[in-house]
Amino acid sequence: MNMERLATNFAGIKMATPVMGASGTFGFGIEYSDFLDLDKVGAIISKGITPLPRAGNEGVRIAETPAGMLNCIGLENPGIDVFLRDILPKVKKDAPNTAFIANFSGSSVEDYGIMAEKLDVDGVDGVEVNISCPNVKEGGIVFGTDPKAAAAVTQAVKAHTKKPVIVKLSPNVTDITEMAKAVEAAGADALALINTLTGMVIDINSWKPLLGNVTGGLSGPAVKPVAVRMVYQVANAVNIPIMGLGGIATAEDAIEFLLAGASTVAVGAENFIHPDAVVRIAEGLDAYLDKRGLNHISELVGQVKIG
Amino acid sequence: MKFFVYSLVKDGKNILAGEFLYWQISFVYGLILWGERMNKLVENGKIIYNKPLSDDVNALCLAVPQVVALAQPGQFVMIKNEQGSTYLRRPFGVADVNKETGQLVLIYRKAGKGTQELSQLDSGAVISVEGPLGKGFSFKNEGRTLLIGGGVGIAPIIYTARHLGAEMTGPKPVILLGVRNHKELFWSDFVEEFSEKLVYTTDDGSYGRKGFAIDAVPDILNKYPDIRHIKVCGPTIMMKGIAELAIKQGIECEVSLEKRMACGIGVCLGCTFAGKSGKRWKVCADGPVFDAVEVFG
Repeated sequence: MNMERLATNFAGIKMATPVMGASGTFGFGIEYSDFLDLDKVGAIISKGITPLPRAGNEGVRIAETPAGMLNCIGLENPGIDVFLRDILPKVKKDAPNTAFIANFSGSSVEDYGIMAEKLDVDGVDGVEVNISCPNVKEGGIVFGTDPKAAAAVTQAVKAHTKKPVIVKLSPNVTDITEMAKAVEAAGADALALINTLTGMVIDINSWKPLLGNVTGGLSGPAVKPVAVRMVYQVANAVNIPIMGLGGIATAEDAIEFLLAGASTVAVGAENFIHPDAVVRIAEGLDAYLDKRGLNHISELVGQVKIG
Repeated sequence: MKFFVYSLVKDGKNILAGEFLYWQISFVYGLILWGERMNKLVENGKIIYNKPLSDDVNALCLAVPQVVALAQPGQFVMIKNEQGSTYLRRPFGVADVNKETGQLVLIYRKAGKGTQELSQLDSGAVISVEGPLGKGFSFKNEGRTLLIGGGVGIAPIIYTARHLGAEMTGPKPVILLGVRNHKELFWSDFVEEFSEKLVYTTDDGSYGRKGFAIDAVPDILNKYPDIRHIKVCGPTIMMKGIAELAIKQGIECEVSLEKRMACGIGVCLGCTFAGKSGKRWKVCADGPVFDAVEVFG
């Protein structure tokens, strides 16, 4: 793999490749060390961290769907203090060369500011603001569906950190470009899209919802065309860089996102099935650059030909 | 990895005292280095056989020498039939291994779409195997072990029985299996040679004792007062009953849990639960084997 033509600077975060492990599907990165070379991972994006430990939702949390899966984990995590004390030092020891992006959320605008300040430490290369978790009642998606609330959260985060700030958008809105523009105006350095699409499965024997939380977030190849469309729309509406994600399973999928306007991509559910996916996709991108005679991955960004 | 080394050190106590120190230092140090490098992987395995054992239970044998070399009793693998229509991998307990041939045996009930499709595959077809995963059973060289399995939960009992009955030097285990009826006695072929005594209960009384596995436990404990450990894999209700009985009698008990999971390596958090201590556990990475006190105590 020619690392030079894959090396990417995403809103100030230096990455070995433009392919990252998406929040909630990549643990804290080091869980994958048996399966891939962490030096070849663009960035590790942590499981969502919250101010206090969270046990997550009761009942069934995972359901398979055609070409995808639903989850309603509910942001189970040990909380920011345990993360900073126990997990981050271990990550920096085991994956010292890999960019690390901390994904976090809170229940109030103030929470987001406090979290941003606590995460403004060595070892964290950037933060991803989760305003789009569909599986928690407080916070989360409330901030992700109202442009004013999303802007307020973004401002609070920007005011409390020197790190690059990526805001992760929800697809569960009427017009995602309105959200993107509001967040850009509030100072976001980059956008990540899409989070999961809200879905539901019903057990026709018991007549009950299959998931403990009734609804869950849909991910996997089933959502990919929706995600590509949204990246395309947002890329035409904002000037800040975009991380594209949603159903990426192959290098070909990633190339679609780049052509649509994303400058980096993240791999989600595919990590569960093929734990080497992040590196395999980066290698596939490299092979594609070779085949097309391109010198750098950035030459693909936004190059979709319309009309 | 810690667990792996620990269990081998414990096994090592059986070796002559003079050899023991050398054995322990060289092998365990080697294993630590090896383990640091890799303790799980994805390996494509050719199907050696995929044959019915009863109307709805199949045995699947795969050539996956790298996974087999690392597998411990009670661990599991996540498999994917890349030609099938299901999306996620599926967890299967390691039923048995042959370290010489590098073959892995999984035993499954044709229950859903994935296992139906799996049962259609012939010898030579390739399955992706991720493993070995999780923490398996622990072993001590004192007293006898009672192994209890229910339904297809009997599968991991096979390798555990082989380990206790053929690889360790202590007393052979007593094995208690709860099955539906006399058509599910094929398990004997896998475990009888490793057992001191093999006992069946059937739901319909068509063989052995009629009733649930737990009904046979008091008699077994009376007859084998040297039983110090119970290891159970089966339906939750069965494990709960047996765990409570074991705890009451002061017998160490381990249970093997099953929960929906997407990843098998501790990242999706689909399979977590709160233990009796209040600590949160991941069935896939911290288990699937847990101390019964933490789960049912």
